[in-house]
Amino acid sequence: MRKIILFTIMISLVFGITLLDAQEKQSTGSRVIANLEYPEIKWDVPEVGKEVTRAALDNGLILYFMENHELPLISAHALIKTGSIYDPKEMMAVAGITGNVMRTGGTKSYSPDSLNAILEFVAGSVESGIGSESGSASMSVMAKDLDSGLNILYEVLRYPTFDTAKIELEKSQIKESIRRRDDRPGSIVSREFSHLIYGDHPYGRILEWEYVKDIGRDDLVAYHGKYYHPNNIMIAFTGDFNTKKLGKKIKKIFGSWPIGKLAIPPEPAVEYGFNPGVYVIDKDLTQANIRVGHLGIKRDNPDKYAVSLMNFILGGGSFTSRLTTRVRSDEGLAYSVRSAFSTGSRDYGMFYAYSQTKTASAYRVLEIFNEEFKRIREEIPSQAEFETARDAYVNNFIFQFDSPGKIVNRLMNLEFDDYPPNYYNKYLDNVRSVTIEDIKTVAEKYLKPESMTIMVLADTSKIEADLSDFGKVTNLELKEPKVD
Amino acid sequence: MKKLLTTLILVALPFSVQAKKGEIKLDVKTHTFSNGLELLVVERHLSPTFSAMVRFKVGSTDEKPGITGSAHLLEHMLFKGTKNIGTTNYDAEVPLMGKIDKLALELTEAIMETKNPTYRGGTERVDSLRASIAEIQEEQKQYVVKDEIWETYLRNGGAGLNASTGNDGTQYYVSLPSNRLELWAYLESDRLSNPILREFYSERDVVYEERRLRTDNSPRGKLYEQYNAAAFTAHPYGWPVVGWASDLETVLREDVGEFFHQYYSPNNIVIAIVGDVKFNDVVKLMDRYFGKIPPSKKTVPPVTTIEPEQKGERRVAVEYDAEPRLVIGYHMPAGGDIDFEVFDVMSSILTRGRTSRLYKSLVEERQMVTSIGAWGSFTRYPDVYTISATPKAPFKVEEVEQAIYEELADFQREGPTEWELQRVRNQLDADYVRGLRSNMGLARRLTDMQAKVGDWSFLLTLKERREAVTANDITRVMAEYLVPNNRTVAYLVKPESEEPEGQTMKFQRVHKQAVAK
Repeated sequence: MRKIILFTIMISLVFGITLLDAQEKQSTGSRVIANLEYPEIKWDVPEVGKEVTRAALDNGLILYFMENHELPLISAHALIKTGSIYDPKEMMAVAGITGNVMRTGGTKSYSPDSLNAILEFVAGSVESGIGSESGSASMSVMAKDLDSGLNILYEVLRYPTFDTAKIELEKSQIKESIRRRDDRPGSIVSREFSHLIYGDHPYGRILEWEYVKDIGRDDLVAYHGKYYHPNNIMIAFTGDFNTKKLGKKIKKIFGSWPIGKLAIPPEPAVEYGFNPGVYVIDKDLTQANIRVGHLGIKRDNPDKYAVSLMNFILGGGSFTSRLTTRVRSDEGLAYSVRSAFSTGSRDYGMFYAYSQTKTASAYRVLEIFNEEFKRIREEIPSQAEFETARDAYVNNFIFQFDSPGKIVNRLMNLEFDDYPPNYYNKYLDNVRSVTIEDIKTVAEKYLKPESMTIMVLADTSKIEADLSDFGKVTNLELKEPKVD
Repeated sequence: MKKLLTTLILVALPFSVQAKKGEIKLDVKTHTFSNGLELLVVERHLSPTFSAMVRFKVGSTDEKPGITGSAHLLEHMLFKGTKNIGTTNYDAEVPLMGKIDKLALELTEAIMETKNPTYRGGTERVDSLRASIAEIQEEQKQYVVKDEIWETYLRNGGAGLNASTGNDGTQYYVSLPSNRLELWAYLESDRLSNPILREFYSERDVVYEERRLRTDNSPRGKLYEQYNAAAFTAHPYGWPVVGWASDLETVLREDVGEFFHQYYSPNNIVIAIVGDVKFNDVVKLMDRYFGKIPPSKKTVPPVTTIEPEQKGERRVAVEYDAEPRLVIGYHMPAGGDIDFEVFDVMSSILTRGRTSRLYKSLVEERQMVTSIGAWGSFTRYPDVYTISATPKAPFKVEEVEQAIYEELADFQREGPTEWELQRVRNQLDADYVRGLRSNMGLARRLTDMQAKVGDWSFLLTLKERREAVTANDITRVMAEYLVPNNRTVAYLVKPESEEPEGQTMKFQRVHKQAVAK
């Protein structure tokens, strides 16, 4: 059932509301809305071989294309299987520096300054970076500048020269960011919390200057040589081009790049375990920054859809979620309240909930969090809550594909991340097959109120209530970062 | 399928490229309803979705001292429902809200009493009034359907749903599947016709927390609040959009209600719909839903206060436990002024990209800052031109400030090269094209321009106006505006560090935080 007809979805929604008449609170407006008619939308989930073309060069470089002639623009987005995840803690900064200096440090044919000048003069850009689980490169140019954009993209990927002055600049920028890492309350909590959950696994480790200061050009050259081979790269193109002609151009430029030997190390696994307790960090603030959570699910977990809907009801569905309703709307305790099961990484993601509230209310917010974690495990949600969550996911799906750029990149990402090619075709069926009972079942299975790691960053002298009600209290100290 | 899609796009291309000049024409269809509401539509069938932007020509600039933050608070309140939405029994709510209003007024008086320097009592009356309000709020809850507007939008696939308030405008926006146009029209026209500022006082607390989050506990937020307050002595651009803390403690539902009636009338609104819609359908549908809303009898008052000419440099320091930052500002003309584009071009030459002057000199060569930016916004009234820098150790904020002046002086002496001017023109032209990519981005730009200068097509004249900017214009504008007596300088400093010279007086301006309730 590839054809998605939003009209059918609406029928079920209208039906649902009518049934609920007796049990749910109803406004006069909702009755007006229930009588609105929505004309049918016929829409197909975009697919490779239809809207999107996939091709591969002999050297293994994989290409995705989607034409769009609306505006005279062309962009490309490349993904490279690399990342700091493969590196030991002492080497954790090499990946990021390599990724950035590939672009800033110039290439075989272009000095750093000439790269900047050529691109900026034509309002184009080519950028490169390496994150924890992938490397990326991008190109965005006016259609008339395609040739020079492609050439530069190619040189950045294949022939970076890693100018030493630019390496030192990059290192000193990192040094200053380490010095400033405690400037903003939100970044302190997010960093320290991940570290408590993941420890020294790459998802949780903290960058220190000592891991950066001795990195030299040789490290970057070696790093680049290890991962940047055509058979380890995918590029998606979208915009004002002819696919056949562009394919030929790419072949001419990238085709001479020989296949490389890939020896990608194994990824360190996240050790499944919990670190319960209350961790308090003292800072002179008028608002307590709260984050609680624990290890969640992996992204290939078949319960993912049920977990998504469950989290929508709990704290993911912004104003319609329980946490927001209670903490924000009912009690006016916070501006921002949210929970999430992250599935952006390959290994176990995190479940976390966060909020910021005036210092004196920190206890109350934690109390509400706890009550709601328990309630969603103990009670089946109301039919209205369940249907809102499900309909929101179903009706919003189309926005994952509302531009050619999104379409082509999503389809390439499927291949990059080893998802089944029909992942999006089955997505809606997977969401629709979640039952109201599943919500409670997955909450019991994946939400663990007894194992919560609780972090509070606040002026602790102003928290009058006893946080040890939520677990053993440990004081964490923010140490001055060492940057010499 | 692919063929079909392509054909569709070709048939209904909203933009036409003029091959010769590479210019892109925008097909914007407009309609003004009899009550004054202005509509802009771009039909675009790339995806079966549309984006809607409802722009009110009112922002924090239209507030008065004592009720700062009202425009933004009102924006929050419009998500709280109407007589029809968000309630199971509006009539039962009315007397309860009346009681709350009365107690809230008493609470304001009680709070003011405790702040009287001769007051020696405790906070018993304040506490007890707060408790009484909370009790009635609890009683009202039985009738409230929580956040029903938001929930309805989400349930129907709403994406990018939100609203925002600025100095000059307030906007409400959402993208929806194209068959939900009528739902959008119903919800938006209903909240325009029948707003009820329910749950006002708990929402006021939420906004106070928003202020704590974005301003009081944010180094950047705190610095910019004080920077603006120092740069403007009379004009409302000097007070924060979120409002002063003490105003958020005392502003009443009635105040915000009056603000609504004054400014939220159809003749003060611009709406843009961009996406998979038909212009005629939109006009018909909107006539049905919005057409009946009567225009306000009073005309919307302009802001008459003009910032007096600055006669000497102002310096302000803000203490916060974070590494130092620096902001430098100069009063500049409003958007639409003949010199505005000169500032626009100058900003890009100075700090846009790796070839820009200040980036090259201060980030790459002298390595005194990690980042530097300069910008002037297109505003209704004259604003400040801002240069912001993040110093890199061991350089001190004072040294960075001096280095910026040196670089500006060099630039003023040399003037921009033809290459720099052309680079910037190319970039700004490309910005325009890239800005057309997303339905929501386009809707935002169209409504913004229509609201600010009364004509969306002013956007199309920017290219020409920028092309006319010469090297001489830039050096002239620098000589005229970027001068010390037109300057405000703000530092973020660690509490233990020594005050830079000449700042003792300005320290008194630093706003003490109101104590939470």
